Amino acid sequence: MAKSQERPKKEKSIRYFDYSMLFLIIFLLCFGLIMLYSTSSYYGSTRFGNAAYYLKRQLFATSLGVVAMIVISRIPYRFWMHLSGLAYLLALALCTAVIFVGSEHKGQSRWLEIGPLSFQPSEFAKLAVIIFLATIVYKTSRQIEEFKSLVKVILIVMPIVGVVAYNNLSTAIIILGIAICMLFVASPKYSHFVLVGAGAILVGVVFIFAMSYRAERIQIWLHPEEYDKGYQTMQGLYAIGSGGLFGRGLGESMQKLGFIPEAQNDMIFSVICEELGLFGAVSLILLYLLLIWRFMIVANNASDLYGALIVVGVMAHIAIQVILNIAVVTNSIPNTGISLPFISYGGTSILFLLSEMGLALSVSRGIRLEVV
Amino acid sequence: MKKDDFFVRSRTYNRKKIWIMFLAIFFLAMFLIGRLVYLMVFCSVYYGQEAEDLHERERDIKAARGRIIDATGTVLATNKSVCTVSVVHSQIEDPEAVIAALTKELGMSEETVRARVEKVSSIERIKTNVDKEIGDNIRAYGLAGIKVDEDYKRYYPYDTLASKVLGFTGADNQGILGLEVVYDEYLQGTSGKILTLTDARGIEIENAGETRVEPVNGNDLYISMDINIQQYCEQAAEKAYVQKSADSVSIIVMDPRNGELMAMVNYPEFHLNEPFVLIDEMLPEPESGEEGEIAAQASALTEEERQDLLNQMWRNQCISDTYEPGSTFKIITAAAALEEDVVKLEDAFYCPGYKIVEDRKIRCAKTTGHGAETFVTGIMNSCNPVFIELGERLGTERYYHYFQQFGLMQKTAIDLPGEAATIMHKQENVGPVELATISFGQSFQITPIQLVTTVSSIINGGTRVTPHFGVEVRDADGTLVEKLSYRTTGGIVSTETSETMQYLLEKVVSEGGGKNAYIEGYSIGGKTATSQTLPRSRNRYISSFLGFAPADDPQVLVLCIINNPQGTYYGGTIAAPVVKEIMENILPYLD
Repeated sequence: MAKSQERPKKEKSIRYFDYSMLFLIIFLLCFGLIMLYSTSSYYGSTRFGNAAYYLKRQLFATSLGVVAMIVISRIPYRFWMHLSGLAYLLALALCTAVIFVGSEHKGQSRWLEIGPLSFQPSEFAKLAVIIFLATIVYKTSRQIEEFKSLVKVILIVMPIVGVVAYNNLSTAIIILGIAICMLFVASPKYSHFVLVGAGAILVGVVFIFAMSYRAERIQIWLHPEEYDKGYQTMQGLYAIGSGGLFGRGLGESMQKLGFIPEAQNDMIFSVICEELGLFGAVSLILLYLLLIWRFMIVANNASDLYGALIVVGVMAHIAIQVILNIAVVTNSIPNTGISLPFISYGGTSILFLLSEMGLALSVSRGIRLEVV
Repeated sequence: MKKDDFFVRSRTYNRKKIWIMFLAIFFLAMFLIGRLVYLMVFCSVYYGQEAEDLHERERDIKAARGRIIDATGTVLATNKSVCTVSVVHSQIEDPEAVIAALTKELGMSEETVRARVEKVSSIERIKTNVDKEIGDNIRAYGLAGIKVDEDYKRYYPYDTLASKVLGFTGADNQGILGLEVVYDEYLQGTSGKILTLTDARGIEIENAGETRVEPVNGNDLYISMDINIQQYCEQAAEKAYVQKSADSVSIIVMDPRNGELMAMVNYPEFHLNEPFVLIDEMLPEPESGEEGEIAAQASALTEEERQDLLNQMWRNQCISDTYEPGSTFKIITAAAALEEDVVKLEDAFYCPGYKIVEDRKIRCAKTTGHGAETFVTGIMNSCNPVFIELGERLGTERYYHYFQQFGLMQKTAIDLPGEAATIMHKQENVGPVELATISFGQSFQITPIQLVTTVSSIINGGTRVTPHFGVEVRDADGTLVEKLSYRTTGGIVSTETSETMQYLLEKVVSEGGGKNAYIEGYSIGGKTATSQTLPRSRNRYISSFLGFAPADDPQVLVLCIINNPQGTYYGGTIAAPVVKEIMENILPYLD
């Protein structure tokens, strides 16, 4: 116990590591790969003549991601404080570049082609914002209780939110959500967030009615069966509904056979529901809750506020995406493209998600045992 | 960087807020779980059903169409197993082998087969109506990607026999012509289905299990046609057709007591197994009689011309075409006159070879005149002035009253499609000249079946019967499903009149104009007719003879109509022998 009173620099000798979190991540990764294979094998074989086409690509990105996770978890997280400004500017630059030189996919350019690989800068932007905000807030933590500085911090992230929103509104919302969550935790006040919340709702409402196609989205949400564009939503609901209590069984989904467009992307949760039933779906949600609970434990016990804020950012990221994705798939909110962490197909996404996990694990490494 | 002097620990409120954040996430997750419970437990049946409807594809299993069976138990229409050969592009492993096998077995050009095999589609039909044997051969190759589906095809074992009566069916097992149309609902049955699961492109999923709803086969139709009589009549018709180079020959054989039709011939008949192929007789006369010429003619037709010719070929003249009945109609005039009591058998008439009606001189067939005659000899001679006189005695009103009573103005309601109505002058337009021409069967038109039916009611004791083929409907096991019944109306003429008519018409055959139909040892009644078709200037004739036997108790009635014969055209000379021949053969057979 006496040793633990020493400065954090020497804590290496009595290292804590959150193995529960690591186990949850590995479990989710494996589960995700299995479900991805199950879901994408039809598209893989009809489009590319290879049932494992999507699995292979995802496996490659996952391997890269795991390496990144291990490396980052071994780097003391305070190191990133130096790079945060740079990361933010890089993200801003890449997200701007993608508007002009990005490759188009379904009318929206979100990818940068680098040789055979394609890269989605907005995924990187999430990570950059987490590190950057944590740094800013950490450094100004004494003034954050003032509403003025709160607004100032929000204004600082607005450029990247705006640039990302240009062609990927849902990711911009996630970034904004992450920022608000981090500020909420950092600030001792509550009233500010009532204001911020009210402001966000107001902006949202104005936004919806200013752009007719978003108002149409609301109509599709309320009556998906009456609109052609409600097709994806209806197909998802058919899948979920036909799952019942225990599902059709792994690999037995009918809806993945071309009925749900791009089932391996944002709609993968509906296939999970169809194959594994309510039981499987609830288990998966509980798994995410467990992971988020581990984030909370680590954040609460982080050796400093900086680590805590990073974990809060990661936690907010995972939680927002999981909740929004499931809400969209179950048609609880209007349709918007948000992927399910660890499970949906997407190389850049998994790579940076695992990098974030590395950060969280690195923070857990910094915990001094006596506080656990 | 001054790392050490910049070290801030989390404060209590930070931890509290992290807790609040976790709780918020927890409750949102619980809400979503609630939403999932709602969708997956309470809406599960609805969405599950919707999804199933989406995944299921129905494939029909054709019901076997009921057979048509004649009075002797001979099957006239049945089904043959045929195959449809198709390829499933995505399942083909060895395209060359598939192309080679299909080219060889189906006798199609390699190009055609190759084009279809190599076409990227979910399923491509190569050939339909392939014999089952060939289908089995193709199956025996065991090549992946070839699909051989069995199917039924309507098959007529006697091909041309009674083609216009039986009719044929379309690709969807639907009757298109003749009895096949009228009795469609009995014959059709209910198709079954196979429910299979498919992906979004409609491709069946293997091993998904299928649900079958077995088809209910159609019922068999038993008809009164007798194949022996029909075949005999067709031969007789063909003979007359060839000998007289006629346009067509129609023969109807009916039981006048109940309206059961034993034969109905419209020569030339067409091929029921290839109903869309024009028979040579339908094509315009080629310049030279060579075979190649005919084929060339056939291909030179436009689609419209071809369709017109097909419609003509399918036409059942006995029912759909009207003609001037000529002297056979004198039976009706005589019956009406007898019934109205305006003539007695011994009434005396005089025929100078013509009769003047108003300003017209209407000739008798015998221009030199029959001289003095009684009513009996008048009908034996088929003397026009006698019947003009009868018409005058009856008067338009009473005459038309009998047309109504005899049922002449309504359709016979025969169980075949396309019956034409009688074309008769409006009563108010009938002047003395019209009345005169009507009384010997000219200036109006009726169908052959109408004539047969009306004459039947006059000679059978006065009962109007409905001519028909359908007798009963039985299921495939032979159990009676329905006995078909038809309307009869009594009191058309008195028994007395009927007997008198039998006597008179027997006289016509034994001593009068119909003696060419006389058969030793049988009493036969009948009436000849020769009518000129419109326009008269073209000198086209229709010769006919209507005969029945035995004369005093008619059991069979035969009408033969020869359309546009070349050379001699008198009904008594050319149509009566045809009826005689038929009678000679079927009377011993019917006994």
